[in-house]
Amino acid sequence: MSVLPAELQAQWPYRPRFARVNGWRMHYVDEGAGDPVVLLHGNPTWGFLYRDFVAPLTAAGRRVIVPDMIGFGLSEKPAHEHAHSLDGHIANLTALLRGLDVARAIIVGHDWGGPTGLGFALSNPARVRALALMSTWAWPLPPSEFHTRIFPWRLMHAPLVGPYLLGRHNALAGRGVYLSVVDREKFRRRAQAAYEAVLPDPQTRLLTWTWPRWIPLDDTGRAVERFRWLERGLAACALPTLLVWGREDDVFDHGVFAARFKALLPHAEGPHLVTGRHFLQEDSGSQIAALLVDFLDRLDRAPAPR
Amino acid sequence: MPVTVIARPPLEDRRLALVLAEDRVGHYPEFRRFLSRVFDLDRVGLAEPGYVQAPSGLAYALVFVGRSGEPWPSGVELFAIVPALEPIDEPTVDRDLWAILEWVIEGVGGDWTVRDLQATGRLYRLPAVSP
Repeated sequence: MSVLPAELQAQWPYRPRFARVNGWRMHYVDEGAGDPVVLLHGNPTWGFLYRDFVAPLTAAGRRVIVPDMIGFGLSEKPAHEHAHSLDGHIANLTALLRGLDVARAIIVGHDWGGPTGLGFALSNPARVRALALMSTWAWPLPPSEFHTRIFPWRLMHAPLVGPYLLGRHNALAGRGVYLSVVDREKFRRRAQAAYEAVLPDPQTRLLTWTWPRWIPLDDTGRAVERFRWLERGLAACALPTLLVWGREDDVFDHGVFAARFKALLPHAEGPHLVTGRHFLQEDSGSQIAALLVDFLDRLDRAPAPR
Repeated sequence: MPVTVIARPPLEDRRLALVLAEDRVGHYPEFRRFLSRVFDLDRVGLAEPGYVQAPSGLAYALVFVGRSGEPWPSGVELFAIVPALEPIDEPTVDRDLWAILEWVIEGVGGDWTVRDLQATGRLYRLPAVSP
């Protein structure tokens, strides 16, 4: 039985698969055949975010793997905040992709799917062929201007407020995503219930206020050293990379964040700017999927490095 | 009626109903400092919960949680003190929790303001907050 409301099920017809990863039960879809494209979501979404990507990529001869991060979507949802860490989530993904014996993977990361996917890519370089990044980051400081604001960001996940606002009232998966897309009416009609349905109870929403607390705001942040490692690794990374950003993104502004990725990865293609705020896949999913298909086709045609 | 710190209320034929849990009360350390100060936690330790009375008249117990290797307290659980065999009234508890949050933010002070909390509540259309 699908957890999705009936009117949304047609958008996500994929067979659910489950794997034991790093001590947890992870849900993923695995469609098509060819070099694997691994589509990684962030907070508070799940694989559904990539519903407009799966068909075009499989039709273009790619295998598409879409995991739900532990704590989100149809994956197991730990009951304790201390079950979550950036390193732990990288290890979860590593367990899945090693278990599937993934090779020549294209790692596509959005939001926390960025640091998580890049953590896998940098620690498993023999398994990765290319990267694609959207509205994300991979360095400790400075934070985005949005993440430094008390209203609304720091208040949303402040002690006691986080469990109340994001836990009891599911504010991030519902109205939070709604506020971070361009076409809100389309989102409300076509997608909002899919994000709310997989986080039905306050305790299932724990990661929605836990992830914000892992974003470093200063040198005392819990993940500062891992982000430093990511930044160093990216600066030495030669993997072909595609950057796609939302023009209207006010969480990871493209002028700051896409530009910094471009400085770290000067060979990267883009940033291609599309209509979109932070959840740009909601406004421009088909367009981004087409950019990805084209990028991968050109990668196939490029002469192999000697 | 504002939120007020009270002595231990009568607990006979009452039940402690868990209504909110915070694993990391020191994520912003000023929140931990406020609760430590108000409930004298460095002296009281784990000996007894803190108690407040909320606008509905219901009393709430704040049970503080310690965690090895972390400053005290590391977490806090809020329990509504209700008649033992009666279900909680969810809208009432929700309004009380919002009032307790306003009281906490007021007490934490500094950059944290009730005005911003209310703006956040309105932005996310919380039932407990007036439009």
